[in-house]
Amino acid sequence: MKHLSDQELMRIVQAGDFSPASEIYDRYSSRIYNFAYRFLKNSEAAEDATQEVFVKMLKHANQFHGDAKLSTWLFSITANWCRDYLRKADNKSKDSEDVLVTLPAPAELSPERTLERRENEKRIQKALSVLTPEQREAILLSRYQGLSYAEIAQISGCSEGAVKTRVFRAMETLKKALTGEASGGERCLNAIS
Amino acid sequence: MSECDFMRENMPLLLTESLDPARRELTHQHIERCAACSDAWSGYRDTWRLMGDLPEVDVPAGVKARFLATIGEVQQPDRARVVAFRPRPALRWLAQAAGVLLIASGAFYAGHRGAPVQLKQTPATLNAVAAAPFSIAESRVLPANAISPNIEGRPDIQNVSFIDTNPNDPEIGLSFDITSHVTVTGRPTDKSMVRLLRYVLENEDHVSPSRSRAIDWVRATYSRPGNANSEIAGALANVLRNDSHEGVRIKAVETLNRMSSSVSADTREALIQALKSDPNPAVRIKAVEALANLARSGATLDAAAVDTLRQKAVQGDENVYVRVKAAEALSSIHP
Repeated sequence: MKHLSDQELMRIVQAGDFSPASEIYDRYSSRIYNFAYRFLKNSEAAEDATQEVFVKMLKHANQFHGDAKLSTWLFSITANWCRDYLRKADNKSKDSEDVLVTLPAPAELSPERTLERRENEKRIQKALSVLTPEQREAILLSRYQGLSYAEIAQISGCSEGAVKTRVFRAMETLKKALTGEASGGERCLNAIS
Repeated sequence: MSECDFMRENMPLLLTESLDPARRELTHQHIERCAACSDAWSGYRDTWRLMGDLPEVDVPAGVKARFLATIGEVQQPDRARVVAFRPRPALRWLAQAAGVLLIASGAFYAGHRGAPVQLKQTPATLNAVAAAPFSIAESRVLPANAISPNIEGRPDIQNVSFIDTNPNDPEIGLSFDITSHVTVTGRPTDKSMVRLLRYVLENEDHVSPSRSRAIDWVRATYSRPGNANSEIAGALANVLRNDSHEGVRIKAVETLNRMSSSVSADTREALIQALKSDPNPAVRIKAVEALANLARSGATLDAAAVDTLRQKAVQGDENVYVRVKAAEALSSIHP
């Protein structure tokens, strides 16, 4: 099972045999969970998302076409789930914004570096929460999942140009929040004028 | 849209090395001649690097169980398909012979020397692994008169075959597979425990569930300073060298990054090779981070490692993040 490709595993699932479910889960659960967790800022919702994404994958296996990457399809289901969740949660999501989980730092880091890392983590979480959901989705998929703009466009249901703009806008906001600098655009305009 | 706006929109793509060569060259040329865009580029790079401090979060263990329960495959699906062995009166001789061979299976677990062993259907705990020889082997032939085990419960045996190759010879044999659930307990530093985990990490063909899960277990335990173990680090290095799945290789490097005190010369070599030649940029990024971390923690990097970092820091077609990290690692070595 472990040496089968994603496509081969999905063909088995499409034939009605769910035995590859565990293997597929092991391959992708971490990426799905982390994406949902950073997107929703809520660990319980991220757990629900992870579980339901894989259940949907099994239920709708026939909608997966072998020419696409399984990861792209799974992220597409996850992003849909997360968007629905945010829509339904509406005001509740605002309550969860302040719930920042700080993980124990790796033991080998010095106390100074540990502190610096924790501070950075909080700042990044906070900066991400300022982004619009579309920008957050795009930057999470690009920076942390390494997906191409074409794949992100497929997942988000928009054009590659729109992804480019979303990532750029997200980077501008994050740059301001994380490095405390004026945006390049402002400086550029100042330099030109 | 001004030229500067257009170039700045390209900058995130430059960070992921996703621009085609012509546009990349154009963007770099613009950055060189426009001070404001040069500053903006520097800001994007810093932001991109800072964002790397967001750690990966482990998926809570219960999620998988809930998922499997939902689809009706609660844990150990193979066990549910095993047809329990039922001795029949008509095959009494077979049952008796099976009993003899169950004795042999006792030795299978007890080793060559025939120490009394108990076979149970329920999980067994062996608390003194080092004290009593305990062999885990693929197959073994044992003389019935050399062993004397207790047989408890009704252990499942499968693929039973009777062997009587020479009718003139009084010897007969019975061959079968037996599945037992064994729990080995001990400290993370016990040699037996390390050897078992190393086997689990390095032999994916014969182990379930996945190697990825095994790396999670190892990371949780062996990244603690008191449990540092170079043999486990060596096993992870082999995973990094040999696993065909990039997600697994990334996990292996991340775990090695948390085990810097256990990293031997051979493991460092595996990280350097991954940085040099792994086809996946994410693996190379993780490898250069691990080497940078090693350098920061005071580990001595040999000349070959330093050369590789130097090459990566200036390699034009390498991922920008890898180049920056390589330069950082070098500055840690020669501040």
